Amino acid sequence: MESISGLTADTIGATLSQVIPLLIGVSIGIVVLEVSLYYFLTRVIKTKHALAYTLLSPAVVALVLFLIYPLIFNVILAFSDLKRNTFVCYSPVARGRECELDHLYGLDYAINNFTQVFFRVRDGEIQRDADGNLVWGRLLRTADSTFPVLFGRTVVWTGVNVIFHFLGGLALALIMNQKIRFRGIYRSLIVIPWAIPTVIVGLTWRQEFHADYGFVNQVLTSLGMTKVNWLSEELPAFIAVIFVNVWLGIPFYMVMLLGGLQSIPAEYYEASQMDGANAWQRFKAITIPLLRPILIPAITLDVIWTFNQLNVVYLVTRGGPSEKTNILVSALYNAAFGESATQELGFAAAFSIVIFLILFVFAVVWITTSGGLKEVYDR
Amino acid sequence: MSTVTKSAPSPDGSASSGFTIKQIRQGIAILLAAGGLLLTLLNGMNLAYLLIGAWVGLSIWKPYHGILVFYSLISIYPVLRVISIALRPSDSLLSRSLDIIPANATLNNIVALFQEEAFLLWIWNSFVITVSVSIMGVIIAATGAYAFSRWRFPGRRPALIFLLTTQMIPAGMLLVPIFVIVAQLNLSNSIIGLMLAYTTTAVPFSIWILKGYYDTIPVDLEEAAMVDGCNRLEAFWKVILPLSTPALSIVFLFNFLAAWSEYLVARVILQAGAVRTWPLGLADLIAQFDTDWGKYAAGSVFVTIPVLILFVWQSKYLISGLTLGSVKG
Repeated sequence: MESISGLTADTIGATLSQVIPLLIGVSIGIVVLEVSLYYFLTRVIKTKHALAYTLLSPAVVALVLFLIYPLIFNVILAFSDLKRNTFVCYSPVARGRECELDHLYGLDYAINNFTQVFFRVRDGEIQRDADGNLVWGRLLRTADSTFPVLFGRTVVWTGVNVIFHFLGGLALALIMNQKIRFRGIYRSLIVIPWAIPTVIVGLTWRQEFHADYGFVNQVLTSLGMTKVNWLSEELPAFIAVIFVNVWLGIPFYMVMLLGGLQSIPAEYYEASQMDGANAWQRFKAITIPLLRPILIPAITLDVIWTFNQLNVVYLVTRGGPSEKTNILVSALYNAAFGESATQELGFAAAFSIVIFLILFVFAVVWITTSGGLKEVYDR
Repeated sequence: MSTVTKSAPSPDGSASSGFTIKQIRQGIAILLAAGGLLLTLLNGMNLAYLLIGAWVGLSIWKPYHGILVFYSLISIYPVLRVISIALRPSDSLLSRSLDIIPANATLNNIVALFQEEAFLLWIWNSFVITVSVSIMGVIIAATGAYAFSRWRFPGRRPALIFLLTTQMIPAGMLLVPIFVIVAQLNLSNSIIGLMLAYTTTAVPFSIWILKGYYDTIPVDLEEAAMVDGCNRLEAFWKVILPLSTPALSIVFLFNFLAAWSEYLVARVILQAGAVRTWPLGLADLIAQFDTDWGKYAAGSVFVTIPVLILFVWQSKYLISGLTLGSVKG
């Protein structure tokens, strides 16, 4: 069989024979679903929103099957004792084989899993130190990877990133909003980090922070400064990950804020200039308030995305050196699937729920106090 | 500084009262560039001096352009670096040179990538997945978002808040159950599982962007079309969809980019390594003990350039597509 770089008629056929039936099946499924639902809603229930529900139904079905069901299953897993050596118990294929668990799901497992996120637990017993105080549990291997440490680092990570994203994006947007030549070319160049696949961004920057061969140190030494062991020391490694993520995030803010600036009518500035307002006063009284409807949703989304930014951390440092740059989500990934993994999936499920709840509570407080997302659903 | 420039007479008619600030800055810029050129010639054609001189000069002459040029360079430098590593001969892959086009540039890495690795197969797998996901995502989101934009049906507000909430789900919260489900169903190493997972994660954000965009289109347009004899669906198809091209292309682009370069979910679902997408293939090239930077860089260039072209070509839509939805009125 003729093979060009792994591609043969067989492999092409194998992929297409999986994908084409799926696409046809999905299309037929959507049509059948919509027609029958529309008929049902107009003839049987007689709601005036029949068309709306019909148009929504494919999205609802997709979300229920592939998002809501896994989320519910995740909660169920938090009530299990699933780990590498008990996997046979939970897999239907392996039923009938030796299984050392007497029950698969139970409240005792859940209590154990959730306690383990915070405190040290051994054989179902919460451990205490000599004074009888509770001891923070290790989420990964090192003594440093406890919940408060990871949480604190995540807060710093999110705060620093969002501030730099905002300041960098705002500065670039303000400059780009001037009457400036080559604006289109600059815009195309500045959005490039956004377009490069994240895997390549992460792995390439990892190489660029290499102590001997990376260009960061080469530039530093050519400027007469000393080398930094970027990836093998705690603080430099953390700075390196933050740098990569700031570099990645600025284009999003620039694009959003530039769009907002361009929608502010020039007359406002002219009028205030006639009244004698200086540049700073104009910025404070016109630019910032009119950017607010864009800024608040952008910052909300950015906080959420940065808090959950697993890709950059995992690809640039793997959470290292010695698990010292992990944030909550990368600790979760490492605990469940990493090389040094405990592979306790029941515990990982509980841990993921805790992370989600932290973010959810923050978002609810932030959104209700800032009122920033009102326009999204009030219209 | 800017007020001084503004109060100065117009650039061409200022000779009578000596030099204007603008002309002085221009002069300094030319001097710096010339100094850089001189240092370059004296130091064996080291272009760094010329570049630094010219850039400092530009920053003094036109500070805005100075900043933008600097930032643009930071943006594209890693891309140039990857290209340069891809072109290096295998004995100097770890060289410390900062040149963009290396000495003895060669295409050997690219040849090796295609001959020794199943690179085209990885690309093919990723391509099939990405295109299917982008199309399915846009179709599902386009109609769903229309319903959110035009009807005030019971359950609308909670549904919109739910869509926002999905953005807060950490990847691990989906990965753990998906890993178990896929293993239980014996679906590991099937691209179907990957496609369904990607489509679902793409839908909520797509609906958000599209709904915001539809909101800016006046309802009068559809009502006019319906007076002319269209029904609601025809009005959507013939009026709203064509007007929404910027938002639709943004959504397509986002879904395309997300699925094209997704790594962590693929790592978990396609564990055995029999079926691979390119992120898995390329990451494995440098995860092994003999890291192969040459092949990795060559592969990166091949997967990045088409996406970059697509992105830059669409970048005029980026601003209108992303922001129109969030600005009122």
